[in-house]
Amino acid sequence: MSLDPRRRPPTQQAQQQQPPIPVPPPPPPPVAIAPAPAPVPTSTTPPKTDALPDTSFKLKFCTVCASNQNRSMEAHLQLASANLPTISFGTGSLVRLPGPTIDRPNVYHFNSTTYRAIHQELAAQDQRLYTANGLLNMLGRNLSIKSYPERFQDWIPGKPRLDHAEDQGAKGTESGVVDVIITCEERCFDAVLEDLHNKGGKLNRPVHVFNVDIKDNHEEALIGGKAIRDLALTLNEAAAKEREIHGNEGWNVGGGKARMGFDEKVPDILAEWQQRWPNLPALWSLAWF
Amino acid sequence: MGSSSQSLAQLEAARGLALGDGRYYPTIIPGVLPIIGVNANATLEVQRWGADFLAETFASPTWAPDVKASSALTVLPTLHEFVEATDASIVKSAIQAAACIYPLVYRHIISDPNDKQSWQIMSTIKSSILRRMDSAIPGVRICCVKFVQQVVLVQTPGQTADPRRQDPNDISLSHVPRDHPLIPYANLEAEASGLLDRLLDTLHSDYSDALLVTATLNTLGALIQRRPVIANKILNSVLNFNPLKLANSPMTPKNKVLIRSLERTTRALLVNVLKRNPESSVNVRIQQYLERMHRMRVDAFDEASRKRPAPVEPTDGLDTAKRQRLGATLPPTKEPTYPPLPPGPVSYRQLYTLDPTASTANFDVQIFQDRDQLVRILVSVLHSIDETKLNNAVNAVRARYNTYLQDASRHAAPPNITAAVDEEEEYEPDFEPEDAEQVINRLDSVGPDEIARRALPEATIAPYKLPDAPPLTEQEVQRYGEETIRRAFSMLSAMEEPPAKTKVPKGGFNRLAASNFDRDSWITIMSRLATRAPSGLDDPEEGIKAEYGRIAKRGSFALAEAIRDGLYNYIMYDWKRRLDLAISWLNEEWYNDRLHAEAAEKNFRSVSNGKGSSRPDIRGNYKKCALRLLDGLVAYIEGTDKVLVRFMSEIPEIDREILQRMKRMAEDPERIELAILVLQYLYMFRPPVRSICVDVLEDMWRTNDRAKPSARKFLIKWRPEVLQSENEVKMESTNGTLEVKPVS
Repeated sequence: MSLDPRRRPPTQQAQQQQPPIPVPPPPPPPVAIAPAPAPVPTSTTPPKTDALPDTSFKLKFCTVCASNQNRSMEAHLQLASANLPTISFGTGSLVRLPGPTIDRPNVYHFNSTTYRAIHQELAAQDQRLYTANGLLNMLGRNLSIKSYPERFQDWIPGKPRLDHAEDQGAKGTESGVVDVIITCEERCFDAVLEDLHNKGGKLNRPVHVFNVDIKDNHEEALIGGKAIRDLALTLNEAAAKEREIHGNEGWNVGGGKARMGFDEKVPDILAEWQQRWPNLPALWSLAWF
Repeated sequence: MGSSSQSLAQLEAARGLALGDGRYYPTIIPGVLPIIGVNANATLEVQRWGADFLAETFASPTWAPDVKASSALTVLPTLHEFVEATDASIVKSAIQAAACIYPLVYRHIISDPNDKQSWQIMSTIKSSILRRMDSAIPGVRICCVKFVQQVVLVQTPGQTADPRRQDPNDISLSHVPRDHPLIPYANLEAEASGLLDRLLDTLHSDYSDALLVTATLNTLGALIQRRPVIANKILNSVLNFNPLKLANSPMTPKNKVLIRSLERTTRALLVNVLKRNPESSVNVRIQQYLERMHRMRVDAFDEASRKRPAPVEPTDGLDTAKRQRLGATLPPTKEPTYPPLPPGPVSYRQLYTLDPTASTANFDVQIFQDRDQLVRILVSVLHSIDETKLNNAVNAVRARYNTYLQDASRHAAPPNITAAVDEEEEYEPDFEPEDAEQVINRLDSVGPDEIARRALPEATIAPYKLPDAPPLTEQEVQRYGEETIRRAFSMLSAMEEPPAKTKVPKGGFNRLAASNFDRDSWITIMSRLATRAPSGLDDPEEGIKAEYGRIAKRGSFALAEAIRDGLYNYIMYDWKRRLDLAISWLNEEWYNDRLHAEAAEKNFRSVSNGKGSSRPDIRGNYKKCALRLLDGLVAYIEGTDKVLVRFMSEIPEIDREILQRMKRMAEDPERIELAILVLQYLYMFRPPVRSICVDVLEDMWRTNDRAKPSARKFLIKWRPEVLQSENEVKMESTNGTLEVKPVS
């Protein structure tokens, strides 16, 4: 894991921007990527040294931001690239993207407007503007990850997601539940906790909800995505270790920290992570589906 | 191992089928159970998969609760084995599955009281889980918490007592018949109450276990929402929970994250309660709690970010609520330094003003007109004075005074100063105020007489005289005067109009004009300023006066005219309501003219001794102003504005020229009636102008055809001879025309 995420963006961005910049073509249809959901497109993948093998134990993740466009999607990509099961959502009432002026945002409905449709509409509206502010680039990336932005509040946990099999990171999320939710803004964290209260915890399934505060711009989203990937891999490592130890009757043998289960380690993991990423203030809570 | 992975692949295929369509679950479960059971010698991997599968299956929203219930009975033995397993992840999943299954089995038992066996196994599972609740690893304990929440949920009466109105899917104690043989109502209720207490205890027992605490907090929302019977109890418990208690322990990175997380989780729960139940009576308390938490968090983190953390100190383990007490006292704050007095003579004010730059130095107590208010402020100020500060300040003043005395004596009378004092002074830098104690000591050592003797002659402070302002030029006088007038009028308009209804007690003859600072008195002041102030300046010998005097006078006159303009504009701005002001103004003008005229008369008599040929021509202002006002008014007045009658009857003097305005007004057919009304009124109530009135009426009658019918009515009474002459004229003219006609 690179400890200095700021060094990576230039090359990464250059790579990412390559397709849309000369002519913003309707980016490649997702079908092109679909045959191999687990390995990720080469152009957008960070070095795959920390990507997990298919066979190992994996926690299931969910990333959440306001519009399911920038921060949650960058994190979605990062986690999917690490071969972690990932889904993503937005907590806003509508998908809001910057418009020609600050008081005229482009607004779309969740769950029904595809990234492709938004990309086409914005390209038709003002190609130059939306290329310059990175929106087309972002949408091009998003439509290679999954087909449309989803709203967290409309999500029915436990409802199988077989129809999302072609999304990146879909493998492992078929049952429609996750072990970890990572939000990108305190507002979203509150919205997630509140929505889980509203849903009533009928599944009786614990979920660790984290917030990693990320500013809503492309650069910060990239840094935040790496931070989230770091957090997710650390969590996953701890959870996998728990299964190993306890698997061979080990947890009666070990002592002290070694005996600690995954769930109780989470605060320590988060604290250590927070020291690695001091500029991304974190929150955490154990909630219920 | 190979068989294990093989069976896993099979199981996974079956699971995929069920995920595709929830209706397959009832058929898949019987096939899966023999493979995953502990007795089937399944590997750990397969058992884990089985436990996860059971949890997932019974949580799944894709198949109906009724079907789930019958399947649930078949998995109970397997579930029991899993709950007793040693592997944490199996136990975790098993408890999750049990939490889903418990309500299903519970409902089954309600409708089928004879199925003792199923309830037996379920009870065993329950007690096994409850036993683990305090001893297992935290990851398992949180699942126990959720299970307990489910038990509390189903064993507490539901939202409505009426079983007919209940949501069939919300299984609650209300569904249980009172005489159930297997699950006695009272027992269930008691158990639920006890379990709820255990649940709430986790909030208050160990704060450092954020995992358990947030897990519990996040289960409470559903209980509060769906079980109003216990909602208040839960809320009370939550409101007594202090998520920031960790803030008292050292601020490690972990604690920092945990404090914020605990606070945020509590907040999310309470905000959710607020939103769902906006009218609840507890909401005020919740709001207060949230605000308090917010403040405390800000405090905790602000301090943590700005200062070093509080020193780690062993607190006695008995009372965690005990506040840390640190032995060290506050370091003495640096005493503020005060600037020295300026050289030369100083006033008492300068002596006592320690900080001339502070805003209080320019504060003038005299702005308080209300003495009581001043007293109130003063008392509270005196209360709030810090004693040490006051002492310091007094010492500083004392030191200054002393230095001043020494300086003064040194300058004033050098020979008087003893050598000792001189030496002492050399040790001290001039600007350093002396230590208060030294000063006191010195003052103590000298006798009171000496102080008096020294103080009196030396401390005389020269009286300060403002330099005379340079004389104003004529233009300046004019300009400032007009400015003043403008300001007076703007103040007048800002002043509230007197409420129409209030009965102002009239002072009668004892009334003093302009004594109660209301609108009327200001008008009085203004009009008298315009009239009396410059009166007498335009004496008849105007022509012979020196150049200088004439200029000065012209200024005053212009000023008076400016005031009159202001009054005129002020009245015309809202003439309907300010007509009374117009009347009093005109009265002032008239009275002033009279005074003036009398003075001139006297003057004329004394000068000419009764032999002079020509009387001075007194050009009063009254008529000019009255005409101007009237002309202004007539432009706006309508036929229904009876105020004109009042105005005309109350102005002090009426002459022909003024009444001619009525005739002019009557040229507007709509205002004829009003004009005649005025004349009629004046005729009846102002006998001195009676003849003028009739003259004007006659004039109107003669010249204004439209006014003729109305005018005639009164002329018949007042001057019938006019009408007669008219008849003659008419006859003449008709005759004339008749005669002329054939000629033309």
